[in-house]
Amino acid sequence: MSFEWPWQYNFPPFFTLQPNVDTRQKQLAAWCSMVLSYCRHHKLYTLDVMEAQESPVFNNKKLERKLSMEAIQVVFEELRKKGNLEWLDKNKSRCLVMWRRPEEWGKLIYQWVSKNGMSNSVFTLYELSNGDDTEAEEFHGLEEWMLLRSLQALQADGKAEIITMDDGKGVKFF
Amino acid sequence: MHRRGVGAGAIAKKKLAEAKYKERGTVLAEDQIVQMSKQLETFKSNLEEFASKHKQEIRKNPQFRVQFQEMCATIGVDPLASGKGFWSEMLGVGDFYYELGVQIIEVCLALKHRNGGLITLDELHQRVLKGRGKYAQDVSQDDLVRAIKKLKVMGNGFGMIPVGGSYLVQSVPAELNMDHTVVLQLAEKKGFVTVSEIKDSLKWEKERACHVLDHLLKEGLAWLDSQAAGEAQYWLPALFSELTSRDITPEEANQMTP
Repeated sequence: MSFEWPWQYNFPPFFTLQPNVDTRQKQLAAWCSMVLSYCRHHKLYTLDVMEAQESPVFNNKKLERKLSMEAIQVVFEELRKKGNLEWLDKNKSRCLVMWRRPEEWGKLIYQWVSKNGMSNSVFTLYELSNGDDTEAEEFHGLEEWMLLRSLQALQADGKAEIITMDDGKGVKFF
Repeated sequence: MHRRGVGAGAIAKKKLAEAKYKERGTVLAEDQIVQMSKQLETFKSNLEEFASKHKQEIRKNPQFRVQFQEMCATIGVDPLASGKGFWSEMLGVGDFYYELGVQIIEVCLALKHRNGGLITLDELHQRVLKGRGKYAQDVSQDDLVRAIKKLKVMGNGFGMIPVGGSYLVQSVPAELNMDHTVVLQLAEKKGFVTVSEIKDSLKWEKERACHVLDHLLKEGLAWLDSQAAGEAQYWLPALFSELTSRDITPEEANQMTP
């Protein structure tokens, strides 16, 4: 299913950082929402800023409008403030996009575990994210760094324990 | 018989005549009252019959409503003027427009953050119809205009700006003067306007044009597009036709009163 763009995407001024403060706030909120939805739809977990400039999200070729580098940085900063983005480097050239926060992922994973009566079982990280059993689940394909954070959130909640195994990490659910 | 002087007999006779006239007057009044009372009864039951016959029609048929309103105007009655009384209580005309007014406010509130409180009558109509669902009564643009006029009178900050053969409905009391209105009308064709267009069409100085555009930006009615070829374009979300094809987002839906 292709991504459904919100009405703003086809509104030319959307790609100009608005001078009016109130309008800008609405604009940024819409950008954040759109970026997160887009990443969620395409299961993107990281973004490279240079590449992002040319991606359809920030560059609407049909409309001949694109968000300037300065504006993209403003949007990213907004996402970071909301807790949906983390810079991977000091130069701010690459970032993690958390369209779902670790706690939310943790909850989903735990729900799957309980539903299938798998409490007290042990899994490797790979089994969780790439195993046949989880193919239908939303967290299937979850990148390891995110999976780890989600499990850490569950751990903090007393619902799981991350263990170190021979060839990597695993987790035990309670 | 004495020629001169009024004797006691004459006086007494006069008094008797007066008394008789008075009595007659009273008798007449009583008569009239009974008559009038009978007429009132007939009138009342005719009104009730009218109401029951036409109440349904008024609620269901937009065309009938227009004709009904015009008829009322001819005889000098405004069915929407008074809150109580025959028109609103028996015919429910007031209710109909009151409910419609509430719906209009809901739609405008939900979209305010998008268009700054300005919406085309077309889009308002579409959304009101959508909100009413399949089985609700049909509502015409004439109905909307009347309901909005009523809202305006009640001081809800509503106004209507004529543009391109229809109206822009203003639901937020943004200060719009003649200059602003005229620019809105100019923008109606393409959904945006530029300084040059304003200067050419309206023969204004650049400063005046910029002043108006700045005001529209400030009121949240216009957005700036600085990537347009040539010069900056000022777009109005309210006139952005694609909006009408998009559903209201969940965030917007939360704005609607329950």
